[in-house]
Amino acid sequence: MEEVADVSLILSPQLLAAALVLAAFYALIAIGLNLVYGAMRLLNVAHGELVMLGGYIAYWGFARWGISPLISAVFAVAAGALLGVLLYATIIRRLFRSTRMLARVEANSLLVFFGVSVVIQNVMAVAFTADQRGFSYMDGVLTIGSVRIEENRLLALAIATVACVACALFFRYARSGMAMRAIIQQREAAALVGIDVDRINIQVFALGFGLAALAGTLVSMTAQISPFMGFPFTVSAFVIIILGGLGNLLGSILGALMLAAVEVYGAALISPSFRSILVYGVFIAALLLRPQGLLGRSIAAR
Amino acid sequence: MTRQGWQTGLVLVAATALAAALPLALGTYSLGVALDLMMWIALAESWAMFSGLSGYVSLGHAVFYGVGAYVTVLLWQVLPLWFSVPLGGLTAAALALLLGWPCLRVRGPYFVILTLGISEFIKYAVISTEAALGRNGRLLIGTPSLTVLFEAMLALAVLSMAVLQIVRSARLGAGLLAIREDEVAAEAVGINATAVKLSAFAMSAFIPGMVGGLMILRSTYFEPMQAFSPTTSFTIVTVAILGGSDTVAGPLLGSLFLVLLSELLWTRAPEVYMIILGVLLVAFVLFVPEGLVGRAGRFLRAPKPGPSSRDHRAVVIEP
Amino acid sequence: MTLLRLEDVGKSYGGVAALRGLSFAVGPGEIVGLMGANGAGKTTAFSLIAGTQRPSEGRIWFDGKRIDGKPAYAVARLGIARTFQIVRPFAGLTVIDNLVIAALYGRLRERSRGAAEARAREILAEVGLAADATRPAETLTLAGRKRLEVARAVAAGPRLLLLDEVLAGLTASEVAEALDMIRALHRRRRLTLVVIEHVMRALTQLCQRIIVLHHGAKIAEGSPAEVVVDQRVIDAYLGTRKL
Ligand SMILES: Nc1ncnc2c1ncn2[C@@H]1O[C@H](COP(=O)(O)OP(=O)(O)OP(=O)(O)O)[C@@H](O)[C@H]1O
Ligand SMILES: [Mg+2]
Repeated sequence: MEEVADVSLILSPQLLAAALVLAAFYALIAIGLNLVYGAMRLLNVAHGELVMLGGYIAYWGFARWGISPLISAVFAVAAGALLGVLLYATIIRRLFRSTRMLARVEANSLLVFFGVSVVIQNVMAVAFTADQRGFSYMDGVLTIGSVRIEENRLLALAIATVACVACALFFRYARSGMAMRAIIQQREAAALVGIDVDRINIQVFALGFGLAALAGTLVSMTAQISPFMGFPFTVSAFVIIILGGLGNLLGSILGALMLAAVEVYGAALISPSFRSILVYGVFIAALLLRPQGLLGRSIAAR
Repeated sequence: MTRQGWQTGLVLVAATALAAALPLALGTYSLGVALDLMMWIALAESWAMFSGLSGYVSLGHAVFYGVGAYVTVLLWQVLPLWFSVPLGGLTAAALALLLGWPCLRVRGPYFVILTLGISEFIKYAVISTEAALGRNGRLLIGTPSLTVLFEAMLALAVLSMAVLQIVRSARLGAGLLAIREDEVAAEAVGINATAVKLSAFAMSAFIPGMVGGLMILRSTYFEPMQAFSPTTSFTIVTVAILGGSDTVAGPLLGSLFLVLLSELLWTRAPEVYMIILGVLLVAFVLFVPEGLVGRAGRFLRAPKPGPSSRDHRAVVIEP
Repeated sequence: MTLLRLEDVGKSYGGVAALRGLSFAVGPGEIVGLMGANGAGKTTAFSLIAGTQRPSEGRIWFDGKRIDGKPAYAVARLGIARTFQIVRPFAGLTVIDNLVIAALYGRLRERSRGAAEARAREILAEVGLAADATRPAETLTLAGRKRLEVARAVAAGPRLLLLDEVLAGLTASEVAEALDMIRALHRRRRLTLVVIEHVMRALTQLCQRIIVLHHGAKIAEGSPAEVVVDQRVIDAYLGTRKL
């Protein structure tokens, strides 16, 4: 049954399309993570869980009430943003006020977020069972040139691309977008030049969480979802930030393209089971070789 | 040794002897639970020996458990078990040396996520290897009896406690604590941080490797997704932090609590069980980082409302 | 007879020279002062000697052995101990454990915890921290932490002790006490000292010889009496003069 690796595969537009779709999802997720991590320096390993929640909102809306995922996407973004604002206003802000708590949280942030992510996953598993779920929406197949692609994929790609471009414009031209970039570069300096860091932080959480939830609804249109689908997305997003650079939006998009290409082509050329090996391989290599990508300052022990 | 030391020692020997006699008193089911308890003790004490003392929190100890299991399975009916299980432990220790070399240069949350990533990487590598070999899981027939496995696991649990106690009072433990507090200052007083961290990391992988070997003999079925499950790492960390990760009593208490919880919930509501573990991990890291034992100790030691700003027995990872 | 010798030692951070062509020697038993305005390169010199950082150029000998490029722990085991200007105690551990660790790992490498503890208690008594032995280090006052910094370095059993502004931030009476403590340690433990200090008066009381750095280079060296009248030193200090 094994397909012989074929050089012509590399040139196949089919694979290119698959890589583009994946890259678009990744870019949305990574931009959100980049924002939150950049502004707060907290490694949110529960970021992928927001993708999962977005997916369930679309699934729930469609399966229960027949709501188009396009409409659900709006709700999902709102829900994600609301969650971000709530989390920031109730917990994060307070943590950042107490230096003692902050030291403890920064130090152990990973364990805390890992715990949170386990909780969210299992709460969803209790609510919806651990089964894989999916729905069919616009699953007709289009043929464009030699590429055969499902309508829903094309739609998801289009929406994600528009969202990415909108983000790029926002960061480039909007006042708060520029403020966000300033905070990511230098929190203290940003405060000094008169940026209301607290207000921008709220927006960062809202935007970052909203983007992840949006990505979730798009993923759910094209693939099965489950309560445990989030973590691989978190890992991919981390890889992308490391590759593309902290606070670097364009870098995130390029990183997303790179990782998606490695995954899709790797899986096609070697074997599908190789996909996770590749992602984790890039992840480890990136953390070891380019830790400054995640930082801006050195994190080596010495 | 002090008088109190002797007394504690006697109590421990008596407790071990009693535990060793458990198979005479317990039925198969209860003995299985006791085996699980010994397993968590062995794993969490080994973890605490490195991560609790050094502050380098490993969220990847499942990989050592899994590798130990894999070695034992690969050598099943090739080599005798008394040889292959310890060999699994040695392989895990060797792997720790290999991984520790690059990883232990990275600190704080980055080390945590790196260990997790590496553990997952190796899991998928083993899955691929098994798939390439055309193996869909491996069945072991004719494994040792539950009693034998229990006694072996008991030995590992006791060994892991002894190792932690010895390391704590030895030069190595002092070096690890210094590294946890301030690595630059540690080097300035003569501590070769790289060597200290590496040797402790390898030591803390050895027993989990053997535990993996024993547990695969208990389940009689090897499947990499299961053997390398990150849930194992997560549970180890939670158990150790729950009890308090730099005393021998801490992980012991944490394991007791875990086994109790899992008896109540695991078969009936595994998700609820995981939710409770997650909540406990978050709550303890944030609010009781010194663990139950540390907290109890503070109460017993007549709380002094001094200017102490940090709980100085807690696992604190410097960013 | 020299214990420590620097030859043309330099260090630059990304093109900016923090230290250039520094050469000097220290004989056994000497107390040498290292002086200079903020940013002159004093701490950098210590970091290079102690192996905390690698020199960009030059050679360093200790007791006849090349030590430049050796890692900090190896240098410490050869018998050089340093304090940190911004103190770095093992904050979560008790005061005595701070010293025990140094005694277990430093040049002496005490064989047992008991021996290390005995040594630690002896030193704590000498620096006046005996009563605080079992307190967590982080609960000490600044003066206490500075003492602990010195005590921990001494516990490593050095032959050469590098003290980086251990008097800074102390009150006048604390300074006097600390000076007595340093003199006592020097005498009783047969130490060789290099001392960084801004307080000129303290240095002239303590040292036989003073080296002055300015913008990363040595501009004067001599007895305290010679150095205070040196024109280059006066010029360099005009702005920041606190003699
Ligand atoms: N890690 C570093 N990276 C970049 N520049 C540094 C670093 N450490 C020191 N410098 C620079 O090197 C120069 C010398 O610093 P150093 O700390 O040695 O000065 P110092 O004489 O000890 O000053 P002070 O009296 O303020 O302690 C300064 O200009 C400082 O800014
Ligand atoms: Mg200095």
